[in-house]
Amino acid sequence: MSDYFEYVERLFKGGEKREPPLKGVKVIEMTHYVYGPTVGAVLAQFGADVVKVEPMGEGDRFRLGAVWMRMFKKGQLQFLTLNANKYLITLDARSRKAREILLKLVAKADVFIENFRAGLLDAVGLGYLQLSKINPKIIYVSCSGYGQYGPLSRAPSFDVSAQGIIGVAMKSGWPDVDEFYKLPDYFGDYFPAMVAAAAVISALYYRERTGKGQYIDISQAESLFRFFYDITYLTLTGEEIGKTGNVDPLAIASGIFATSDEKFVAIAIMDEEQLLAISRAMNIDLVSQYKDKLRSKECINELSDLISKWVSSRTLDEIMNYAKTYGFPASPVFADFDVYKDPWRWERGSIIEFDDRIYGKVHIPVLPIHLSATPPKIKWLARPVGYHNKLILKKWLGYTDEEIKKLEEEGIIGYWDQAPGMCPPDAWDIGNDPVFKGEKDECE
Amino acid sequence: MSVSKRDELLAKFFSFEGKPSALDGINVVEISKSNLVGSMVGGLLRELGAEVVKVESPGDSTREISPYGARIKGVGIPYLIENVGKKIVHLDLENEKDREELKSLLLSCDVVIDATKPGYLDSIGLGYRDISSKNPKVVYLAISPYGHFSKESKELCNIPDSDLTAQARNGYPSLIGNPSVRPIPLRAGIWAAWSMAAICAVTGVLIALYERLRSGKGQFIDVATHEALAAVHQFPIIVGFLFGRSRPQYGFIDYILYPFGVYKTRDGYITIATPYDTDFRAFLKLINRWDLEPDWRYATDRVTDDVDRIVELDKEVRKELSKFSTNELIKRATRRGFLPEAFRRLVGRPIIVRSYTLKETLSEKHWYIRSSLLKANINGKEMLVPNSPFRMSETPGRMPIEKLKEHL
Repeated sequence: MSDYFEYVERLFKGGEKREPPLKGVKVIEMTHYVYGPTVGAVLAQFGADVVKVEPMGEGDRFRLGAVWMRMFKKGQLQFLTLNANKYLITLDARSRKAREILLKLVAKADVFIENFRAGLLDAVGLGYLQLSKINPKIIYVSCSGYGQYGPLSRAPSFDVSAQGIIGVAMKSGWPDVDEFYKLPDYFGDYFPAMVAAAAVISALYYRERTGKGQYIDISQAESLFRFFYDITYLTLTGEEIGKTGNVDPLAIASGIFATSDEKFVAIAIMDEEQLLAISRAMNIDLVSQYKDKLRSKECINELSDLISKWVSSRTLDEIMNYAKTYGFPASPVFADFDVYKDPWRWERGSIIEFDDRIYGKVHIPVLPIHLSATPPKIKWLARPVGYHNKLILKKWLGYTDEEIKKLEEEGIIGYWDQAPGMCPPDAWDIGNDPVFKGEKDECE
Repeated sequence: MSVSKRDELLAKFFSFEGKPSALDGINVVEISKSNLVGSMVGGLLRELGAEVVKVESPGDSTREISPYGARIKGVGIPYLIENVGKKIVHLDLENEKDREELKSLLLSCDVVIDATKPGYLDSIGLGYRDISSKNPKVVYLAISPYGHFSKESKELCNIPDSDLTAQARNGYPSLIGNPSVRPIPLRAGIWAAWSMAAICAVTGVLIALYERLRSGKGQFIDVATHEALAAVHQFPIIVGFLFGRSRPQYGFIDYILYPFGVYKTRDGYITIATPYDTDFRAFLKLINRWDLEPDWRYATDRVTDDVDRIVELDKEVRKELSKFSTNELIKRATRRGFLPEAFRRLVGRPIIVRSYTLKETLSEKHWYIRSSLLKANINGKEMLVPNSPFRMSETPGRMPIEKLKEHL
């Protein structure tokens, strides 16, 4: 029998490939920033047709949310990636005529995604109760901070506020320093968004078998509660764990330690077998020495200190070799550039070089969910505000060029403001783009 | 519709009683062998209604993993929460007879969760190639630190999993902490990397089950805990590509918004976000520092890689905030009431929220009205357990705490 890893590699690189799993699933999203758009991104990378509705002119505010304000060919690359494979249209929801178009699109859709303040879309006639009258089979997901009902439901939310309200914001920091650090990179948005995506797919599965749609109420708070074991610990012991620096209170010993070659290594010993493994590497019998008090606060600190000292006179490579040989969790501590350059990620295809029709070559992440027969795929980057107006109105609703022109003149649909983040790159040739004109689809 | 009427209607809509589950009839076999992240995946699938059989082998240490070793009747908190409602089957995978039993389980199930050392199940004749040849409908999820394919997956297959090492490889601790206080990478205080990998794995399984309805075939899903977080967040990769370097530890500052984070008041802590320029300007007014407005008016003034420059502003803001009580700030921020969105953009409204300690969080009524937290009575002691985050009107996710007693 051939080597296992080679076998799996062949399965992923050359094995049977089937049609995209969500082919034919139609999605409408009215979303902004990160939370809602990530739900649509998951569906879009697995082959759903996702139409994102933006306000005209500025579009989604995340179009401006570039790290250090750095744009890429006048686009916000993270917005372009998060909204890849989506059809970007504009409709002014304040006008009756625009809402009629939106309702026509909804009538054809399987899924509707929104992440506005709870109750906001109800107020403009686009809530679940209203849309399910037009399309009873629709799966409607609302993504909010604290849920659609209850006394906190109307409280304002943004990644960091949800972290604050549920106590997660007080978890990262040094025990002896009076400072608290938020979880970076919008974990409070991305994680609940993945929960919402999973909920939607489970609802699609249920609908496929029963024909029934439903309403889904995902909150940042409840998503972050789910693996927050401190809650149960507090009610069990009366103690609040708080911030513990680099020590994971669920491990036997752990930390981020400086090596002799001025690098950092993370080590976490989760159980006795791993303690035995690192004992062998350290050549000290930690197991019999500490057996009786394992997992107590002092023991965790003592063991972590011992490991810290041991690491300090060894290089990162030496530690990693010990980890491989004896079998305990250890990893170098990467920074952005290490993650980006990591050959392992490139080999697995969670970072790719993508050649976009409009933006050219970029290096971007793909969803890290590897499916051997139906992998996630990037097909095109997001487009300027209103770019797919004509295509969608023609393809989904059968509008003619004249009708579209009239909608443009009446201001029912619109396009980008001439500002970075919203507008096309300079080199783009508007007169020769059949997709913008609605004559051809992105991937035809 | 009034707020209270809407609340009432929705509460009824999202009730749990008498409803089916999305994954009714789906059989999952979870083999996690001392690796808790596998149980987290199985735990989420259980909430969606799957029948999960957890295969536990002798010496499975997941029973012990708990904050400071806290136990409830002999098992740790994560074990209890993740495994309640699963069927636990004790099998020694080193024993021929037990292997046969596992084999029959695997040949008749819909989903396998393989959280063992990569290649281990294959080495005992129970890997994907053995199972899928006889059970082609099987959805086989592998979850491991470095995955089941690539050069490094093989090289590092002997290294067990942990959340902390997964955070490290995803570049997460390099972003957390204040370099002027302690220039050392700092761990996120929750299992961020494992949680993200677990939800990615669940999403993969659901996609595969949905696709199976059409093709009739299963497939192999590979999720690596040391890969998932950064790829979902996207930032490290986009930053690496655009700037050719890494972001430093930023302390309290963010890369695309200012202010955005946790701030100290006279008597507690708050979190602040000002997504729009108008929000920031409103914020300056409410802390009586309009004098800062000319220099910091636009997002382009407040977001730059010149950290030292923003630290100047941050010092001023912190100084001012420490003069106010938390209540006073929240009152000032919300005194305009709930503005229609269009006005909000013109007038601005910073998002200021009290940063709760966990005790304060748990005393909030909201969570009990929504059943976000469930009360479980064990040995006469009342404990709180988080409910499933999958709030669905037709097929609600369920944390089966009523089965806690059977388990203990």
